[in-house]
Amino acid sequence: MTATSQLMIEARGVQKWYPNGFHALRGVDLCVSKGEVVVIMGPSGSGKSTFIRTFNALEEFQEGSISVDGIALSNDLRNIDAIRCDTGMVFQQFNLFPHLTVLENLTLAPVVVRKRRRGDVEAQAMALLERVGIAEQARKYPGQLSGGQQQRVAIARSLCMEPRILLFDEPTSALDPEMVGEVLEVMRDLAADGMTMVVVTHEMGFAREVAHRVVLMSEGQIVEEAPPTVFFTNPRHERSRQFLAQIL
Amino acid sequence: MRPARAAPGSIQRSWAHALRQELFGSPADSLISVLLISTIIAAAFSLVRWALGQAQWAVIQANTTLFAVGRYPVQQQWRLWLLLVLVAALSGLSWGLLRAYPRADRSGQLWPFNDRLAVGLLGFLAAWLPAALALGFPLQWRWCGITALLVAMRWLAGHWGRSWPPGLVKLIPVIWPLLYLFGMVLIAGGLGLPRVSPSEWGGLLLTLLMASFAILLSFPIGVVVALGRRSQLPLLRWSSVLYIEFIRGAPLITLLFLGQNILGYMLPGGWAPDRVWRAAWVLTFFCGAYLAEAVRAGLSAVPPGQLEAARSLGLTMPQALQRVVLPQALRIALPAAVGQFISLLQDTTLLSLIGLLDLLGTARTVMANPEFLGKNAEVYLTLAVLFWCCCAALGLGSRALERRLDPTHSPA
Ligand SMILES: Nc1ncnc2c1ncn2[C@@H]1O[C@H](COP(=O)(O)OP(=O)(O)OP(=O)(O)O)[C@@H](O)[C@H]1O
Ligand SMILES: [Mg+2]
Repeated sequence: MTATSQLMIEARGVQKWYPNGFHALRGVDLCVSKGEVVVIMGPSGSGKSTFIRTFNALEEFQEGSISVDGIALSNDLRNIDAIRCDTGMVFQQFNLFPHLTVLENLTLAPVVVRKRRRGDVEAQAMALLERVGIAEQARKYPGQLSGGQQQRVAIARSLCMEPRILLFDEPTSALDPEMVGEVLEVMRDLAADGMTMVVVTHEMGFAREVAHRVVLMSEGQIVEEAPPTVFFTNPRHERSRQFLAQIL
Repeated sequence: MRPARAAPGSIQRSWAHALRQELFGSPADSLISVLLISTIIAAAFSLVRWALGQAQWAVIQANTTLFAVGRYPVQQQWRLWLLLVLVAALSGLSWGLLRAYPRADRSGQLWPFNDRLAVGLLGFLAAWLPAALALGFPLQWRWCGITALLVAMRWLAGHWGRSWPPGLVKLIPVIWPLLYLFGMVLIAGGLGLPRVSPSEWGGLLLTLLMASFAILLSFPIGVVVALGRRSQLPLLRWSSVLYIEFIRGAPLITLLFLGQNILGYMLPGGWAPDRVWRAAWVLTFFCGAYLAEAVRAGLSAVPPGQLEAARSLGLTMPQALQRVVLPQALRIALPAAVGQFISLLQDTTLLSLIGLLDLLGTARTVMANPEFLGKNAEVYLTLAVLFWCCCAALGLGSRALERRLDPTHSPA
């Protein structure tokens, strides 16, 4: 395999303006290769969410190029749908479908989008719920679960589409402290399995242990990009030092 | 675990306590309560005394057919009985299956208290009402038979529905619209049945037909217009707004008269051939506009994250709307929509003003008959009770549906 074929995400000079004229991304470059875990940090409003949401076309961008798993993001809707099938996303607010049971949350997309047989998908979904440790809740509705359980369901829901990349947007920020651990545990487990992950988070412990690279964003730009050991102990940029001083 | 037997009693006791607090909390409260309650009881008492003693119900008894179906030809009325039998059978079947398949997270009871109450009430009505209306014995037996069929289907489906092939169960939501179409054919004629002109439909038949037609068709209109109003496409958005504002800007009675005069030019020939169908379309478009507003409120109450999550899983826009956004939006819109349906049912009385013989129109012809002069109170009371029953049924149905669809928000 060549080096380029291993690139799962390749973003070059991405610029984005919101409809109100706000310049949210000011030329961002990022490459993520297969099996890599990249953690994105940065102060509030620096454009982290905006950036990772461009990867699966939840946000448009105006300049630059992004290709995901070898498919260039363009206005072609078929490309976008193909990328979304291969890219799972986990949200800060879980965004589980409250009118469906946990099991139905998992099986919806594989049945509707991939046209798979419900029986097969259910077996796989149960295995995934087992893996994230909530198989016994399969017939409940999301509103009947705790936050940590809901987020684990959300991760399992993404996994049920068998994505090649997982995007996490502050997956633990809306959780009570005692539930953060169980979600991070699942994410650790995924990383150990070689899943390609881009994670926006301020969980230092997770970044230190699991990330291959830490990226610091500020005001729509990437300020620093380094392995966690370097990033946390010896950052090169003044902006990174300020940021670390704030969150430590 | 089943709750202990004592629970209902304690609930009743606290209920009685709350009632006493509310009615007799202070001397002034007690005085007002006593005055109010005695007035109400006195009024109710005189009403009952009038209804049982003075009122002459012959006006209703002599005109039951007229009130039920208007001037529908006697030789063709077997078609309506057949329709009634089919509706009763399918209702019983659906009711039983709803109990046989409780929600995924509930262990539903097969015969909850409400169901036993409903069956008891139906049985009482089937035995008492035909007799009270002085219907002939054959008719009395027919009503008992139809009610028995409903309850029997309810029982069968409730007990054995789970062992039926799942394909059959999934068919039920499809059978209802088919039955509606077939009912239309039975009522209006066609497929070899002789035609019965809409001008011969009347009474409760016409009222229910108009209301159900408008309710069923206004639903898709409401959903499409609500989506249109939120659409990114300016033409679609503006035409939706125009439609809603036009309909909401005019009183229904004006629209009904307008429809009688211009719908003939607006809709393709066969769609609005006569006064009844023109009125039906006006009711449909009228209800559709109000429904669109209810659905729009439901749509904006669904968090944007839901659509994003659905799209991020690869669902296309139509799939995401159908599977994720609309089910939630419609559940939120349900109470407002049912309120709309109830007022639509009542608004059908306006049809009597454009000369149709709906329930109110029929009542007016009956009261104009010299034989029954001065029997207005009896007729209007009957009408009020009939409408009240229909609206109560709609309300109860919607509340049951709401409970069934309730996704039980967070446990905390
Ligand atoms: N729809 C929008 N229209 C205009 N500006 C927006 C919009 N969404 C976000 N922004 C702006 O874009 C900037 C980046 O937002 P973004 O949500 O990407 O930040 P973030 O780094 O994820 O912050 P946080 O840590 O608070 O989640 C912010 O300044 C925000 O105000
Ligand atoms: Mg964010």
